[in-house]
Amino acid sequence: MQSAPLPESLADLAGLDPNSTPVMILMSLIGAALIGSLMMTNTALAGPWAKRKITAAFTDRIAVDRIGPFGLLIIVADSVRLLSKELIVPEGVDRPAWDLAPLLIASSALLGFAVIPMGNGLHLADPEVGLAYVFATASMASIGLVMAGYASNNKYSFLGGLRAVAQNLAYEIPLILTGASVVIFAGSLQISEIVAAQSATLIGPIPSWYAFVNPFAFVLFMIANLAEVGRNPFDIPEAPTEIVAGYQTEYSSVYFVLIYLGEFIHIFLGGAIIATIFLGGPAGPVLPGIVWFLIKIWGVFLFTQWARSAVPRVRIDQLIEIGWKGMLVLSLANLLLTAVIVGVVA
Amino acid sequence: MSLEKPSSPTEIGVTEDGLDYDALAELLGGHVIDRESHVNAEGFVVRPDEVQAVLSTLKTEAGFDHLANLTAQEYDDRYESIYHLRKYDDPTQELSIVVPSPKDDPHNQSAARIYDTADWHEREAYDLVGIDYDDHPDLRRILLPETWQGHPLSQDYDQNQPQIVTLRENANPLQDDQRSEDDPDTMFVNIGPHHPATHGVLHVKTVLDGEQVADIDPDIGYLHRCEEQMCQQGTYRHQIMPYPDRWDYVSAGMLNEWAYARAAEDLADIEVPEYAQVIRTMSAELSRIAAHMLALGTFALDVFGDFTAIFQYAFRDREVVMNILEDISGQRLMFNYFRLGGVAWDLPEPRDEFFEKIRDFLDDLPYKLEEYHDLITGNEIFQMRCVDTGVLTPEKAKSYGATGPVARGSGVDYDLRRDDPYGYYDELDWNVVTETGCDNFSRVLVRMREVEESARIIEQCVDLLEQWPEDDREIQANVPRTLRPEPDEEIYRAVEGAKGELGIYIRSDGTDKPARFKIRSPCFSNLQTLPEMSQGEYIPDMIASLGSLDIVLGEVDR
Amino acid sequence: MGEGADARFNSTLREAFGSTPFILTKFDQFMNWVRGSSMFMLQFGIACCSIEMIHTYAIKHDLDRFGAGIPRASPRQADVIVVPGTIVSKFAPRMKRVYDQMPEPKFVVSMGSCTISGGPFQEGYNVVKGAEEVIPVDIHVPGCPPRPEALVYGVAKLQERIANGESSPVTVKPYELEQFGDLERDELVEHLADEIDEDDLVMRYNWNDSP
Repeated sequence: MQSAPLPESLADLAGLDPNSTPVMILMSLIGAALIGSLMMTNTALAGPWAKRKITAAFTDRIAVDRIGPFGLLIIVADSVRLLSKELIVPEGVDRPAWDLAPLLIASSALLGFAVIPMGNGLHLADPEVGLAYVFATASMASIGLVMAGYASNNKYSFLGGLRAVAQNLAYEIPLILTGASVVIFAGSLQISEIVAAQSATLIGPIPSWYAFVNPFAFVLFMIANLAEVGRNPFDIPEAPTEIVAGYQTEYSSVYFVLIYLGEFIHIFLGGAIIATIFLGGPAGPVLPGIVWFLIKIWGVFLFTQWARSAVPRVRIDQLIEIGWKGMLVLSLANLLLTAVIVGVVA
Repeated sequence: MSLEKPSSPTEIGVTEDGLDYDALAELLGGHVIDRESHVNAEGFVVRPDEVQAVLSTLKTEAGFDHLANLTAQEYDDRYESIYHLRKYDDPTQELSIVVPSPKDDPHNQSAARIYDTADWHEREAYDLVGIDYDDHPDLRRILLPETWQGHPLSQDYDQNQPQIVTLRENANPLQDDQRSEDDPDTMFVNIGPHHPATHGVLHVKTVLDGEQVADIDPDIGYLHRCEEQMCQQGTYRHQIMPYPDRWDYVSAGMLNEWAYARAAEDLADIEVPEYAQVIRTMSAELSRIAAHMLALGTFALDVFGDFTAIFQYAFRDREVVMNILEDISGQRLMFNYFRLGGVAWDLPEPRDEFFEKIRDFLDDLPYKLEEYHDLITGNEIFQMRCVDTGVLTPEKAKSYGATGPVARGSGVDYDLRRDDPYGYYDELDWNVVTETGCDNFSRVLVRMREVEESARIIEQCVDLLEQWPEDDREIQANVPRTLRPEPDEEIYRAVEGAKGELGIYIRSDGTDKPARFKIRSPCFSNLQTLPEMSQGEYIPDMIASLGSLDIVLGEVDR
Repeated sequence: MGEGADARFNSTLREAFGSTPFILTKFDQFMNWVRGSSMFMLQFGIACCSIEMIHTYAIKHDLDRFGAGIPRASPRQADVIVVPGTIVSKFAPRMKRVYDQMPEPKFVVSMGSCTISGGPFQEGYNVVKGAEEVIPVDIHVPGCPPRPEALVYGVAKLQERIANGESSPVTVKPYELEQFGDLERDELVEHLADEIDEDDLVMRYNWNDSP
């Protein structure tokens, strides 16, 4: 069922030689643009529109319905308006860092999608260290958050930046350890291998997705992922009622759009990782793989929005405590147990 | 009746039928240089340099543990500070300590060492009237900007003189020279006056040590709307009543109106018809439910951190209450429904429909409260956040003059509806809610349970009103068109507002306008406990404590 | 671009192209539609009116239907500031600061009588006689407090005006909010001169000039 990566199929389609380096560079760029646009489209749908509608559904409201069908034109209005706003550069900001931070936050998440197979051949690359690469790019965002927080010359931003680091440190390790337990199952870091390992069936009609094979790891990963993308109950780096808007307090216009976009792409990247290593990637009956893949990542998005509406925010020290004393221990135990089970069965 | 309270051990001056002021005067001996008679209590005149001695004797030996209010005012020949003392065990036992000070150099001893709450009250008196308090820990302006010229409630204040107000740049924590010398690891942060969690325009000067609050100083006055001046310019009968709605503006208007109505009616000796009292009781409790719903919603906003479901649900339910209140008064927030001697008009017709609307609301309420309990108090993260944070001990609560849900959340059993009965409360069956947790969680729980009690009261009132004979529906007593109380009458009367003891001091001078109108705001005293609660806590806990105090800046600043 | 356009709509592009070439006209119309269709509100509460403002955002009235229901806590990300309540002398410089922190184009809805004239507190010694003493206002919503429906109408009206390219002429009374050095040096200023340093924002109220 493995189809060739996107650049090769594009080269085939164009009738060019897939072995020539310039052709492959060009095709890779086109492929990257395609996948990037796909994710941007998702984000655009989620950010200004779906988020409002979902929150409204949780709170008995209607939300945007005046412009366009179902208020969908708000996407155009919101994005153009935000991009056309005045970009305020506050006095005393640390210039290169302040400008780079939003770019870093937005791009780090997009980079991760390069190795995620989305089904129907939408797969940019498939390196052997795929999973490690995804985690590595996703965590680059925390550098962006610190840069934003520190460079803004604002105390709330500063606090938000520090909180972001503390939080990401505390939750990245459980996240990766839990991911590692999947790697033990699959016996490979290569993402296509991990997806392929989930294509068998477990019992009856239930597929052997790792969410069913090891639900404990799945739950751990979901929680750690919530913290990683900074959503409730772990939205501490932003914490609107405590530190205004955290690291993004001083950003306006384009930079704000980038940060906002980055947050949502991050949620989708988190969803993509979960879909890939726990929910069988693009696998699913009847519908094409890409549709299943999108359904899964939107499912994770819905979960984050549900948590946002219903769960109180934990305090920063409690968050760190849950991370280091709870999640870390549990994920280590999970890793050991998986290793033992896999060892015994093998 | 569930309203009886366990009697306290006998204290000096306590007799079967009220206070024996002679015994108290004897206790103070030579300190009392004169005695005045106010409508609510006797006033002992003491020398300005003996305030501390007198107050500490009264607090330790006569049991006056509640400094309810401090009224400062200027006469033609002297300045005067009145300390209104009461007891938490029995607020009907009152005593006023009157401290005159000379016109040319007004100053007297500070009471801040005896009662913690006197700190802010004396700062306010200094700010607005201009009396100096010796031995005060930090006597500076509290409501007006530091650069203000003159004291606006003093007699020779020129309102038209230009004023200058400054906005200082915030110190940057990242610069070396902004660090404090003794502890270079701290950072100064201005929280407010424009901040999502300050419930309006409170400014909290915070010093942070990492994430922990090292020092905190609430800075108020960003909504000082001269309410006392407004009331002193209005006539008793009609012009004052609209203002109370705007003190505690979260739909608690009926309760505030009652505070003024009660003080003015007792001053002018007006008897309110029973039917009007029942209507008042019912609408006041509806106001209380609306106010507590808002407290719940905004507290959820502070802890949940976003305009989440619980916040929205609280506002959904408030809409229902506000609709009922609108049916009664014609307004959603600023009711202006009470009149001296009664209420403005009878309940809306058709009465059956109106009563059914209230009953529907009351029937739904238990389910809604259950939903809140599921979403808030039953949530483990919420408990983690709120239990044992923002602790306020009963002793400190009393010393700071905390009242209302804040005091009752600390186990102080003090509710004026029962202890100093007014309206129709003592005829009805209800309970005073107290919790002994002393933390943020208890304060939330107290409010939620008080909503249930209010619903009980409303239900009984609706029953009464439904059966009330049609020819006996008297809504208004006979009150003269222009009310001119006797000159030099003084009264301090309080009611249980949504936030606590809401008191009014009025001094009449024989005209149709009060000579001095002083508002004792529960939020003002409650807010003083914030440093006590949040020292050493984390920022989120400080925000949660602030939310659990449920302050309304309109009432804090007045 | 309709009548009464002011500097808030001027862009460098417009300056480069001259008055009203066809493409820019269409582009202007599009931008006006964009700005009129979607706006982030500043999460900004002052007094009584803010309670009704919250009700406007919440269930039942749901201002978000008009694409104007997302409150942002940081002024850097807000388009519209609703001024809901009485402005007093101590708060006015702060409010001015918050307004200044918002990026252009920005709009102001003043809510309630207090922001029009000082409302019931107009005679107070400490009350600023309306928001226009401090910042320019696009839409006034009268009432004490206005009902949520009135605020919804006000916001809808603002959107309509923006979409039509109309905007209120800036009718702010000359207020003095400058570096200290520019103030007229009268006796009072001299008296305070030692206490205020150069960096302070200073607001000077002359109550006699107010309505």
